[in-house]
Amino acid sequence: MRTAAELKHGEKARISDINSDNPSYKRLIEIGFTPGQEIELVNSSVFNDPLAFSVRGTLIAIRRNEADCIILS
Amino acid sequence: MTLDVAKQIPLITLVGPPNSGKTTLFNYLSGKNFKTVNYPGSTVEYYTCKMQDKFNIEVNLLDSPGIISLNPNSPDEEVTVTSLYNHPEFGVPDLVIATADASQLSRHLLLTKQLLDSGFNVLLVLTMKDLLEKKGLRVNTDKLSKLLRCDVAIVNGRTGSGIDELVKKIDKNIKSLKPTSKPSPIYKFKATDKTSLFSLFEEIENLTKAVIEPIEIPDLDRANKEIKILNPVLEEPTMQPDLFTIKLDRVLLHKRYGLLFFFLIMTTMFTSIFWLADPFMTLVDDFFSYLAQTSSQLLGNTWYSHLISDGLISGTGSVLVFLPQILILFLILGLLEDTGYLARGAMMIDKPLSKIGLNGKSFVPMLSGFACAIPAMLAARTISNRRERLLTIFIIPLMSCSARLPVYVLLVAFLTPSDKPWLGGILLASIYVFSIISSIIVVSIINKFSKTFIKAEDNSSFILELPAYRIPKLKVVIKNSYINALHYIKKAGPIILLLSLMIWFLTYMPNHSPNIDTAGLNEEEIIQLEKSERLATSYAAGLGKFIQPIMTPLGMDWRIGVSLIAAFAAREVFVSSLALIFRVTDDQNIQSSLLTAMQTATNQNTGEPLFTTSTVIGLIVFFIFALQCISTIAVSRKETGGWRIPLLQLLIFTSTAYLLTFITVNLLHMIGIN
Repeated sequence: MRTAAELKHGEKARISDINSDNPSYKRLIEIGFTPGQEIELVNSSVFNDPLAFSVRGTLIAIRRNEADCIILS
Repeated sequence: MTLDVAKQIPLITLVGPPNSGKTTLFNYLSGKNFKTVNYPGSTVEYYTCKMQDKFNIEVNLLDSPGIISLNPNSPDEEVTVTSLYNHPEFGVPDLVIATADASQLSRHLLLTKQLLDSGFNVLLVLTMKDLLEKKGLRVNTDKLSKLLRCDVAIVNGRTGSGIDELVKKIDKNIKSLKPTSKPSPIYKFKATDKTSLFSLFEEIENLTKAVIEPIEIPDLDRANKEIKILNPVLEEPTMQPDLFTIKLDRVLLHKRYGLLFFFLIMTTMFTSIFWLADPFMTLVDDFFSYLAQTSSQLLGNTWYSHLISDGLISGTGSVLVFLPQILILFLILGLLEDTGYLARGAMMIDKPLSKIGLNGKSFVPMLSGFACAIPAMLAARTISNRRERLLTIFIIPLMSCSARLPVYVLLVAFLTPSDKPWLGGILLASIYVFSIISSIIVVSIINKFSKTFIKAEDNSSFILELPAYRIPKLKVVIKNSYINALHYIKKAGPIILLLSLMIWFLTYMPNHSPNIDTAGLNEEEIIQLEKSERLATSYAAGLGKFIQPIMTPLGMDWRIGVSLIAAFAAREVFVSSLALIFRVTDDQNIQSSLLTAMQTATNQNTGEPLFTTSTVIGLIVFFIFALQCISTIAVSRKETGGWRIPLLQLLIFTSTAYLLTFITVNLLHMIGIN
């Protein structure tokens, strides 16, 4: 099972589910990470964490462990 | 009282996600007389005002903090959401104006949908339609209005067009209100699960697909071609982020150079605060010195004259002298934030800061702390995680604020040999570097024990929208800086003033008209001699002598002790207090004559020189750590909602300062440096 944390730079993928183990999962959904959405890893910080994704026409920075609960199809 | 008013005058609350143009809209609608309201016992703050007179609608307008959803993610968000449903002071809003970025419709409609589902009376305002138009698209507002079953207006935040149309809709909404049919919204989002969130989004997606349509141009073929060139994928036309932003981010968030740019931008910003503010600070300082001098000349050498000139006027001056710096800090921070860069800065620094229990969002407050701890603590509100926010507030006093600068300048000048002036600059720079390193060490220690110090368990998270880069709106930034500065004066001003008066009292009483031998002295000398005699026999001196046993291990005597106590009003008071005690009379060049006085002063207990390399270095160490600022304590109490944290800060930082000063002085003695 691939997650958004494993995406390469500039790689696009579609979300299949959000893992509800991470306490932040609701906020991730509310900010726009929902199944069916195409996301792209646009940037990563100097320390490879946080990561910036393009989702629904905007850029969202999230921590690596948060990206790890975004499951890709 | 407020309840009656609320009953008569309808209440409109502005609600919207961050970056949805809510603040801009509030600025368009609000009159001049807005004030801030706190939810009791918390830091969640609202702006409230009447609508501008020209709109001719009498309502109370309430601006709430930006939220993404009605399902709160932090204690502060919870307060925001609960008081939206029923504000303790204003009650239930008669109308909720929800803002949404038209180019972000599928994300921003979540909140609007939740508001409607709760049973609020909602008016939806779409902003940034120009961004959508660039993509050749527009929102069919009639259709959206029908589908959502609420009024929809479009407002352009840059030009203000659409405001009149919005006001008409507000007016219509308010007029149709019946006193008996006050909305009674029901809260039902706390238990929202994943599936229902997913289906809510699905619903919104279908909605947006139905209302976003190409702009109709008479020549349909040409239009279609243009749209196709702009958006080869017509099914998801709004799904691409701003291209310029992505290109700029490749540079500014670059793996190797990103951090370099970051430090460059921050250093420029930080240093410019100092040099831009300096002339204005001198101006304020000179003005109040002049005022104090004039009033004491007018009123003569009496106690009330001293109260007015030394207590009241100088006290007011010590509040206002930092105003230029605070204004410029807010201005530069506001500009940086408006360009969209600050969010990137927080992203880059998140990883290292999370290692010591902080958050990327702690960065801006900590940076502000180098100017003044008070606005810095207010800036910590953006951190949603309570534990991280409290920890950030906790360490802000360790950031070397500008009030310490005059003290460092004096002490460094004492240490610098006259033939090596360059050494002074290096010394000053190393004080800053040392204070940064030591605050990192302190915060990691505090973080280890934070369960004892800071009682709040929260999920640590960093989810931050990186807004598209844009040219900042100077007018809005200036207005916000003005509001923030005003805020500072209102909050900190009375406390600093009261404390200055208290210090004046302690250093003036009880021997207010001392008997001195005036033979052969001119009037100026008499006043100066009276001043120092008065101080030597004052309550403050009594206090100083009382704490003498504490000062002795540091190789210092009560006179430094008194100056340290006086510095609690504001740190730079240390310098003027030393000048007072060591009878420095030459007003023209206070620093060089004070330096001479310091070089010749002897410890009243031992007869040895009082100011030596070791005691001066000890004093620098003391100032780096000690929390000697009553206003900081007061703001910390307000921002953390209790006495626990400010008292812990006072205790920990001041005792650390004392201990480290003791170690420094005695270590230096041991290796033969006096």
